[in-house]
Amino acid sequence: MNPTFGRRQFLRSTTALIALPALEAFSRGGRSARAASADGPKNFVTVGAYLGWHQPAFFPEAAGKDYEIPEILKPVAPYRESFTIFSGLDHRAPNGHNAWSNFLCGNAPGSYSLDQQIADRIGGKTRFSSIELATGVGEGAKSMSFTKQGVGLPLIMRPSVLYRQLFTSKADRERTEYLLKSGQSALDGVLDDARSLQANLPQRDREKLDEFFDSFRTVEQKMGRQLAALDEPVPDPGYRLPSYDPITPNLQMEAGTIMYDLMTLALETGSTRVISLFLDGLGQVFAIDGEVLKAGYHALSHHGNDPEMIRDLVAIERAHMECFAGFLRQLSEKRNPEGRSLLDDTVVLLGTGMGDASRHSNANLPTLVAGGGFQHGRHIAVEAKAKDAPLLGDLYVTLMQRLGVESETFSNASRNLNHLFS
Amino acid sequence: MNRPALVRSGLAKLALSVALAAWTGEGLNAEEAKEIAPIPEAVGSLLEKHCLQCHDADTEKGGIDLDQAAIDWSADGAAKRWEKTYYAVAHQQMPPLDKPALTPKERHLLLDFLDGQLSRHTPIGGTLPRRLNRLEYRNSIRTVFQMNSFELPAGFPRDTRAHGFDTVSEALVLSPPLLEAYQEVARQIADDLFPPERKPPPATQRTAGIDDLVLSFSAATLHGDALRLAARSLDIMRSCTWPSKIEIAASGTYRITVKASAFRPKGDQPMKLEIRARDVAASDRSRADTFRLLKEIDIVAEAPETFTFEAELYEGQTPLFRWADAELDHTPESFAPLLGKLFEEPRFLAAWQEMLFPGNPRKGVSVTPLRGRNGWEIFQRHYRDPALNLADATPDSRYTKAALAMAEEIGTVRELGDTLAYHYHENGPALQLHEVTVEGPLKLVDGPADLQRRQWREWNFGQRKEGESDEALADRALRTYLPRLFRRPVEDEIRQGYLEIAKRHWAEGHSYDEGMHLVVRSTLVSPRFLYRESRPGELDQHDLASRIAYFLTRSAPTSTLVLHARAGRLSDPAIRRRTVEELLPSSPSSPMIRDFTEQWLHTRLLPEIMPDERFGFTPEEVDLAKAEAEHFFFTILDENRPLSDFIDPDFLLTSKRFAMENYGYAIPGEKPVHPRTAYTAEHRRIERLPLERGGVRGGLLGQAAVMMATANGVDTQPVLRGVWVLENLLGIPLPPVPNNVPALTPDVRGAKTPRDLLGAHTRSADCRGCHQQIDPIGFVLENFDPVGGWREKWPGIDVEIDPSGVLPDGTEILGYTDFKRWIVDHIDLFAECLAEKLMIYATGRLPSYAEKKEIQQIVAEVQKRQGGFRDLVVALIESRTFRTR
Repeated sequence: MNPTFGRRQFLRSTTALIALPALEAFSRGGRSARAASADGPKNFVTVGAYLGWHQPAFFPEAAGKDYEIPEILKPVAPYRESFTIFSGLDHRAPNGHNAWSNFLCGNAPGSYSLDQQIADRIGGKTRFSSIELATGVGEGAKSMSFTKQGVGLPLIMRPSVLYRQLFTSKADRERTEYLLKSGQSALDGVLDDARSLQANLPQRDREKLDEFFDSFRTVEQKMGRQLAALDEPVPDPGYRLPSYDPITPNLQMEAGTIMYDLMTLALETGSTRVISLFLDGLGQVFAIDGEVLKAGYHALSHHGNDPEMIRDLVAIERAHMECFAGFLRQLSEKRNPEGRSLLDDTVVLLGTGMGDASRHSNANLPTLVAGGGFQHGRHIAVEAKAKDAPLLGDLYVTLMQRLGVESETFSNASRNLNHLFS
Repeated sequence: MNRPALVRSGLAKLALSVALAAWTGEGLNAEEAKEIAPIPEAVGSLLEKHCLQCHDADTEKGGIDLDQAAIDWSADGAAKRWEKTYYAVAHQQMPPLDKPALTPKERHLLLDFLDGQLSRHTPIGGTLPRRLNRLEYRNSIRTVFQMNSFELPAGFPRDTRAHGFDTVSEALVLSPPLLEAYQEVARQIADDLFPPERKPPPATQRTAGIDDLVLSFSAATLHGDALRLAARSLDIMRSCTWPSKIEIAASGTYRITVKASAFRPKGDQPMKLEIRARDVAASDRSRADTFRLLKEIDIVAEAPETFTFEAELYEGQTPLFRWADAELDHTPESFAPLLGKLFEEPRFLAAWQEMLFPGNPRKGVSVTPLRGRNGWEIFQRHYRDPALNLADATPDSRYTKAALAMAEEIGTVRELGDTLAYHYHENGPALQLHEVTVEGPLKLVDGPADLQRRQWREWNFGQRKEGESDEALADRALRTYLPRLFRRPVEDEIRQGYLEIAKRHWAEGHSYDEGMHLVVRSTLVSPRFLYRESRPGELDQHDLASRIAYFLTRSAPTSTLVLHARAGRLSDPAIRRRTVEELLPSSPSSPMIRDFTEQWLHTRLLPEIMPDERFGFTPEEVDLAKAEAEHFFFTILDENRPLSDFIDPDFLLTSKRFAMENYGYAIPGEKPVHPRTAYTAEHRRIERLPLERGGVRGGLLGQAAVMMATANGVDTQPVLRGVWVLENLLGIPLPPVPNNVPALTPDVRGAKTPRDLLGAHTRSADCRGCHQQIDPIGFVLENFDPVGGWREKWPGIDVEIDPSGVLPDGTEILGYTDFKRWIVDHIDLFAECLAEKLMIYATGRLPSYAEKKEIQQIVAEVQKRQGGFRDLVVALIESRTFRTR
């Protein structure tokens, strides 16, 4: 057989695979994914671009292993055996900027997002159950991550804020210690007051107020634990931030580089297991390789198929990907005590909630999965029009299972891609 | 047989008079209502005959066991169980249709007995101590501390609802995460009032070269060692630049140095460089005049000159630079004449035409990709092209006119202004910046944030008098602060307790501020603040003031109300009434109007429902639909209109465009707007539009918001709408849905209507009891699509909707307007239902049987004297049910 089969050919074979009864797919893939999770990856990182990834420069022409690296992905070419590109997947979500959060929320934008579902299951034991970051001041999505109750989580845009949270300075630690200790010293006074209030009440009211006392006890114990934790040594990252926060729009790439550095440090020091990074986009005008681009990022995304506009848009997206390549490099270089790379320990999902920003279409979302110990190196092309075609949510189920999250569904998806991707 | 289930028949009225004895008599409270009442033999044998087959101790269907010789009213859940029994029989949901029905005599006997018992043994009052919910907590902090823009931190825990509202005490649980959130808020507020000391940063000198100045859209471009500005637009992103790596950390006086020059100035006219203080974190969509002006400098020389001045910059700011008197502005008034002048050069005009309408024959192109440098390059290509077509380069050409028309339309002006900016960048005149230096702080100053903090502190904790000790000052402050925070006078002992916290802290060597910081943190987690109405029985003056204030204003009581309560004047009915009238919501956006309607009518869900694209219902229309419900509720309250206006008023309250587009409302002489154009401010203006009574529109059920809230944005579910109307408009609660009910999805292939499918439900006796009440109401509303539009056919199948049906009291209805008339004829049902919802919302509990009696009585009285909705609300506040915790 011809080793480099054409896209059409592959599509047919994929479709055939996908047409398998869902049950069989479950039984074959489900088990293996779970077996892998015992010593499987433990971190999840996701990166989403507000203005999408220009499809023709993101999706390879050919499917399978021997694809030619597309323009935007050139910076990550050295790691092609460590990632997989997906085309043809989406959540069948509404179109437009307003529905952008479908990226992690699935069919219903603004609902329980993938990273939060994972964080709620695996994030509890770390200092931060999850961290939400952004680069570039935009005005579109204010959140990429949503809690179970549908609350959008605020994004940290300033590297200095993230740094302070991760590697508390001496002054901050002293302040925290002071607040905890003084708070403890005042507890008795508050509780005395509460008891004097409770004393004259009938039984039912007293029971209601027990909620207050119970909560107080729990929080008091937690304060004790926090105080004890303050004595633990804080890792010295040996990292120097610039004297300013790169938050003006034109410094988005600089912000990206720093954020990826800090994300690596956060994972390495075990401060968190779940991180999301939102790449916002507005009117920022970039100078790339010393040349100022033709228009702002957002204006370029409405390229109307003008080749020069597309060229500059692709230049921005490639610059994003250069920052991302730096992240993959660091993850693949760092090793855990067992000698496994941080990249194998981390499932990385890069994508977007917008398939084609020029048309505001949210179909066919460019998606890339790196690390996590998967068999990588391919472009998996899904024929979206096929009957029972898989959804992006099916891939998310596979990612969750790989991380040891026992879930069979995500949003409108109730299968998985374990048979295609393991 | 005619079964008047929906109407509370004469029987109930008879029962009412029995109940009145108990109601008007000595007050029962939760403790006194308990005793053991034997069940008379006649009732006992009736229960045995009709009920015990399913509802005995063994089977206990639906969790109801009625097999008792006597009712032990002190037992847990007794009142609930017998109330359920009463209503199931009264609404003819029990016994089920496949079991022998009660004879009228039996029904009378059973209901009469239960009514007497329930009236006597269910209490007035019974709300548990109520934790403030999210909204009340936020508003209380705003009111107590005068921090009017205080917002809860993101991720602050949500409240759960009970009986439809998030104000119900039993559901307002205090959990450890919530307490932690309270502690975090307390710390933030303490930080604002008594800020921890900060060391001033050392003075630095920071320089931004042209590479460190922001290029935003086409506002600036780089040429050699200069950054050129070309436009004066007030939109900073179209005209300004600012350093990207300088952000002031400490408010203070700074020395700012600017190196600037004029590029090809017109004659010797100076260029005015304006420097303002921009908040780095502010949106790039901000307007220049929202930022404080620091300095204006005249730039004349074409060689770079250095200007130095001192100015105050506050925390988080950076200098912003704008050429204030540039020719180019992105407004139609100035752009069109400017372009007109440039068009005097035929070559310019021809190239501009070629850019907008290229080819032969000419064809218009999308303007968006022409914005900025892309368009400019296209223009230049044509301008330099020897073969440029100059044929249309005349003032009268239609292409000249079309180009000028585009220069008068705000959207295209913004885009083409960005294109023309390059003309100035390249050919001048342009204002050039070369370098910016910011040095300091030379001296620290109080920024606006510091001043605000000081104001809050003085308002809340006063200023030290000369020679006053820490303790005296703190004690004086707590005397006013604690009663305000706890919403009632505070005994000396309690105040001493909190003062003690500060004193101990001072004794350990901490400052006055640190001690007070700790007191603020402690008091904000006291249950005296977090819970309201903590004393059982009849509310005292202070708890009554709280209940009235939180009900009508959704916040803690303020001045007048507090003063009345302290003086004991709220026991004077005249003063109480006047105070209540003053507190009633004064606008459709009053917090109570929004909060109550969102929960009662479920419109809080609207922004989350994304209507299917085929309805063409935009987010702006969703907002308008929600606003309509709020304006409508407010107007009926404010104008004291009759309760029947909720169902069938003679007006609409929405914008003209919305009414025309969604309600088929015709206005003579008013042309419809193209539905695809965006809603302008005028299109959003809500006004009163006259209407004939009795039609499809007008009234809650004909409103888009209500029809949306009872559907899911994609299709309608008649059962859900039927249940919704029964529970929220007619006050008829339904038993919980049995398990294993199949979902109702229209089968397109068989062209089966939802009606045929639902038929299956009503055939089974188990289902029929409820569904014969639900389904006719659901179907009569089927003419409303999921966004409240009117439709004649069921979607997907080409079948005419049949909305007709028989209401359970035997009334035949042909369509929606018949149903509307039926509700108006039975308006007491609606009025009692709304009154009950208001009381759940206000008192934080589901009214007991005896309390429902009182509510019905009040509704009857208001209706009898032809009172309006406002009268009803005021009367409800006067009730014992309201005034008892």
